[in-house]
Amino acid sequence: MSTLAAFGKLPTLSSATILLVGTNDVFQQQLAETILKEKQDLKINIHLTTSLPLPAERDHIRPRIDLIVFIIDVQSKYSFKDIEASLLHVDANFFLGKVCFLATVGGINQMSVDMNAVLKLADRYCSPVLFCELECETMRIAMAQRLLRMLQICHGHVPGVSALSFSSLMKNSLDDSTFIA
Amino acid sequence: MSLNEEDIIPTITSPLLSSDDAKEQLLEECEEIWKQMEECQNKLALQETEALPDSDPKLSLLMKRLKALTAEFNQWQKRKPEVITANPEILVALGRDQLQKLDHDLEMVLSTIQAKNKKLKQKLLREQQWLEEQQQLIDCLNQTEEEISNQVVHFSEERAFQELKTKMLKIKAFKEEILKALGEFLEEHFPLPENGGTTKKKRHSSEEPEAQLITLHEILEDLIKQHINIPHDPYITISDSFWSPYIELLLRYGIALRHPEDPNRIRLENFHD
Repeated sequence: MSTLAAFGKLPTLSSATILLVGTNDVFQQQLAETILKEKQDLKINIHLTTSLPLPAERDHIRPRIDLIVFIIDVQSKYSFKDIEASLLHVDANFFLGKVCFLATVGGINQMSVDMNAVLKLADRYCSPVLFCELECETMRIAMAQRLLRMLQICHGHVPGVSALSFSSLMKNSLDDSTFIA
Repeated sequence: MSLNEEDIIPTITSPLLSSDDAKEQLLEECEEIWKQMEECQNKLALQETEALPDSDPKLSLLMKRLKALTAEFNQWQKRKPEVITANPEILVALGRDQLQKLDHDLEMVLSTIQAKNKKLKQKLLREQQWLEEQQQLIDCLNQTEEEISNQVVHFSEERAFQELKTKMLKIKAFKEEILKALGEFLEEHFPLPENGGTTKKKRHSSEEPEAQLITLHEILEDLIKQHINIPHDPYITISDSFWSPYIELLLRYGIALRHPEDPNRIRLENFHD
């Protein structure tokens, strides 16, 4: 199957899986390390990839994916197009709260992707957008903590809150947001 | 409709239990629930994955969300609050765990709020100091203003007018004086030559001056008048009444200049530039 299935497998107890999709390898690596450094009681699996669809050979070893984060590098148009293409390979059930966009901003002069386009893309797929600066260490840690929280909710670790209800909460806070300018 | 699996997974992180029985019971209950999970999963596996339409994913997504949210809502309505297990030991262990977590969270909140409080107090202090300084500044400025306003002299138009008048009179008097001095000086040192007089200079043109010669004083007056009244064309034509040696004198010492094209016209040099 070329689409990534949402409910194709049983969830793994006590361990959550997050999939980072993006073209900027260095940033992905750094973010993954920062997430793993955070202290909490759930085992975290992080899968890194540059684009979907995922190679089918490893399909049976791969655990069920709880959260997909699409990392858009604002400095390269190529990454934006790539992400757009990858989005077509994702099961519709994922977009009920298990997908999130992360826009990485470098310097202000280097933006080659229009911020409006990113926001529109996120709006089309009804998913929240988070912003992160590439170089800033503290922002990365804060971002890792946020993603971890989302992951816990998407995995079902937090009783009473489902991924869907959480994403509805996130959406409302974005409607009156102004992006980093 | 697909059940929300997340509601069914209990995640319990409990410390070591005192009795094995309780452990056994707990494991059994977990196994039960896991079996339910697998059944649900089997049902789900029959569903095929669907990709979103490219043209307008938002609409179909929103419809899906609506359906899913209503399903979730219905689940929540049906659900009754239930305890996961009836075993009191487990409950006690669970309760202790949760209370510890709560305690930890509350301590964090407390320390954050204390830190914020401190920062606010410092800010308040800073602002108060700033306010004091500004107040002092205002007092100082008020004082200076008072002092200066005592010294200010009110401007009166009349007086300015009178002052200008006196100035003008003074300047006119000065002008008369220096013109008189100039006249006397010129009379003494540059008199008109006697007609056919003793100061005979060799002339290449053997003409007798026919017209009445005018004094150097008058020539200078003419030049000055021309210069002041018609600044864009301050030239006067040399007539026969000008004694040519005086003309030469004026030209040689740079007091007068020739017109660049017409040799018969001269002007006064710009001394006031």
